[in-house]
Amino acid sequence: MQASKHIPTLLDHLIWVILVGVFIFFVFQSPVFLTSTNITNIFTAAAVLGILVVGQTFVLISGNFDLSSESTLGVCALFGMYLIVPATPPYWGGGVLINPYLSIAVIIITGSLFGYINGLLITVGKMNNFIVTLAMLLILRGLMMAFTQGKPISGLNFPPAEIYFWLGHESLFEIPDLIKIPVGVVATGLIFIIGHIVLNHRRFGRELYAIGGNKQAAIASGIDADKRVRQAYIISGGLAALAGWMLAGRVGSIQVNLGDGYIFTVMAAAVIGGISLQGGRGTMLGALGGVLLLSTIDRGLNLMSVSVFWVKVIQGLIIMFAMFIDAQRVRYRKPQAKAAAVAASPTNPT
Amino acid sequence: MDDEHSTPVVEMVDIVKAFPGVRALDSVSFSVKQGEIHALLGKNGAGKSTLMHVLTGLYTPDSGTIRIRGEIHENLNTAKAKQAGIALVAQHAKFVPGLSIAENVYSGMLPLRWGGFVDWKKMYRDAQEKLGQFDIDIDVSRLMEDTTVAERQMIEIARALFADASVIILDEPTAPLPKHDVAKLFEFVRRQRARGASFIYISHYLEEIFEVADHVTVMRNGVVAGVSPVKDITQPELIRLISGANVERYKRESGKIGNPVLSINGLNRPGAYTDVQLTLNAGEVVGLTGLEGSGPGELARGLFGLEPLGSGSVMLNDAPYIDGSPISSLKQGLAYLPRDRHGLGIVAIRSVRDNVSLSVLDRLEQSLGLIDSAKEKRLVSDFINVLGIKTPSMETAVENLSGGNQQKVVVAKLAATEPKVLILDEPTQGVDVQAKVELLRIVDQLSQRGVAVAVVSDELSELMDICDRIVVFYRGRIIREFRKNREPITTALLLAAIEGETLETTNASV
Repeated sequence: MQASKHIPTLLDHLIWVILVGVFIFFVFQSPVFLTSTNITNIFTAAAVLGILVVGQTFVLISGNFDLSSESTLGVCALFGMYLIVPATPPYWGGGVLINPYLSIAVIIITGSLFGYINGLLITVGKMNNFIVTLAMLLILRGLMMAFTQGKPISGLNFPPAEIYFWLGHESLFEIPDLIKIPVGVVATGLIFIIGHIVLNHRRFGRELYAIGGNKQAAIASGIDADKRVRQAYIISGGLAALAGWMLAGRVGSIQVNLGDGYIFTVMAAAVIGGISLQGGRGTMLGALGGVLLLSTIDRGLNLMSVSVFWVKVIQGLIIMFAMFIDAQRVRYRKPQAKAAAVAASPTNPT
Repeated sequence: MDDEHSTPVVEMVDIVKAFPGVRALDSVSFSVKQGEIHALLGKNGAGKSTLMHVLTGLYTPDSGTIRIRGEIHENLNTAKAKQAGIALVAQHAKFVPGLSIAENVYSGMLPLRWGGFVDWKKMYRDAQEKLGQFDIDIDVSRLMEDTTVAERQMIEIARALFADASVIILDEPTAPLPKHDVAKLFEFVRRQRARGASFIYISHYLEEIFEVADHVTVMRNGVVAGVSPVKDITQPELIRLISGANVERYKRESGKIGNPVLSINGLNRPGAYTDVQLTLNAGEVVGLTGLEGSGPGELARGLFGLEPLGSGSVMLNDAPYIDGSPISSLKQGLAYLPRDRHGLGIVAIRSVRDNVSLSVLDRLEQSLGLIDSAKEKRLVSDFINVLGIKTPSMETAVENLSGGNQQKVVVAKLAATEPKVLILDEPTQGVDVQAKVELLRIVDQLSQRGVAVAVVSDELSELMDICDRIVVFYRGRIIREFRKNREPITTALLLAAIEGETLETTNASV
């Protein structure tokens, strides 16, 4: 009886327990796991994923999905590079040669615009959010292929592109072989903090929770639900573009499949981190836990030289496990909390 | 009742069920005889739902025995309970709306022909005949979604009776029903009782108990507070048993009535209301009543922008009222408490704090657009204290509160917007006796602060207790207006007006 009382609390913070457990497991499995290079690698991998998850969290909390964010990432990374590099081989860009700073601004606006289009179709067009963003996922990926004819666009060895690589490639602080703080990791950390503040301490975030929890009641409370949902999609699109910029810096040369399949990891990280797919529930801190857990597992399996096929299987199992945890949360939260509330409320005065 | 019918079909003896921190059932004994309608009463959280969950096998009791038709059932689960003939008819019966009535009646046991094809002819014929046996005269080829809630409940009861139910639990069946359907349902239930069917009847409406039940068991704080034949008990006694105290009805003294706040002139909306003339004054409580669909509910939702308002003139504080959305209504100082608490009132999974401050977040913003959390907490805890919201903390999810406290959370949310006009749509629906009184007191306090209050309700006694004026709608028109200070208002007068009797016809018939 006593132990069962703590189950909901445990389920809510399970992510951190698992993270520590998994971390210790890999430390014993691989001698190089606990090295500064590897830890940096985990954080670097978590950086791109983290930005996508922050954007996705806003949309999920409002009770919607944004499946298109991985394509938005790909298109924006590619488009930004295209604007910077020459049209000649080996760059295969657009030959526009615009200022890289301008190009960064352009892609962030472009990503936000894709999000706005998603939001318009869903709120004004009254179309199903899952299908709309799934269609957007296909459209953007297809456009990306048509645009480049399948050829990668490369900024390697083209000096002006250095600025474009700053976010994904440079470090703020580095002592060789000892410590390295990549710009991207710091940026993602900041975005999580801002995301947390916006979600919990700004009207926008609070209204988003209400919309995800009960849209009709939110509307009857004087909330412009459609506008808030559109704003959530704009944030998701803009952050996907930012993640694209960061990833572009890491890879240097952009293939048409950049970001392909990322959305599964994004959803898994969010759900493992406690973001409810029904909307209205979840925190940025939890989402961060989900991101770190998946990045740690990914890196650990890599070091253990697990075959890529089995990595897929394990990722699938992790998503299922996340859904299992989510189901347990629903199951345990209700009766337990209800009994507690009944017990705590003073009964009628006699 | 005949003596041969007096054997108990269900006997629950010394049932104990504890949850962490609360003894939900403390040695409860409860029995239902063959051919009786046994009312089970109690406030929310008194233990009646838990007791029914034990009977339907959803909860396993910690101790105690359950006997159904004389047979002891241990380790009852939902499947076994069903087999033993325990049938639950919920407020909204579970049917497949897109299928015909016949298919729903036969779902799971459709008559088949050779080759596994459904024998449609036989199914329709048999279904018609079977429902006919229970005096349900209805075309079984109609779609389930086209039936009324009352028809659905009757079909569900009949379906339970085909399956030879020992006892049928009716859980607040009349809450979603319009008045005339309630009578129909009662008539039907009484007829089935005459044939030997037994019912457990759960309701918050005490008048109904006297109308339909034979026996009554009252629960309070997890124990049985009293058992009695209905003919040996009075309504005040029943209320005392339920609440554990002498609950007086809340009578509101008329206060000072101020200037007109909302003036409606010649408002029309086809299919909803016609030529509405209505003024709400500061400090006044006005009751709006009528048959379901006769106009008051539509007017309330129209004014709040949940439905179109129609054409005509509406002035709020001498300025033209801009309708169309709850956002603009709240901005102009018109707040609405919805009838559908779960659908429109609360965000159940969010905390009391989130719910109460939801409509005033803009006023809590400080620099950088951040919510001033100290100010927010002060606001919420003030409302928790003033309205007497019983909750372990302001971070508790609203879904864990009782119905009455959930309703108070909605009232707090509305009051926080400091409205000039407050429209309450069936504010006491689904809340217990004690909470009803408290809610009415809150309404009174708001009116004393100068809010113009309108209450849409068909609880006539409540309207008479708190309103300065009662406006009666009939088929979309305001047919009568009663003023408390001008004439004594009686239930009979109100009912006559609700049924469409105008002043002229009353005078003519006298």
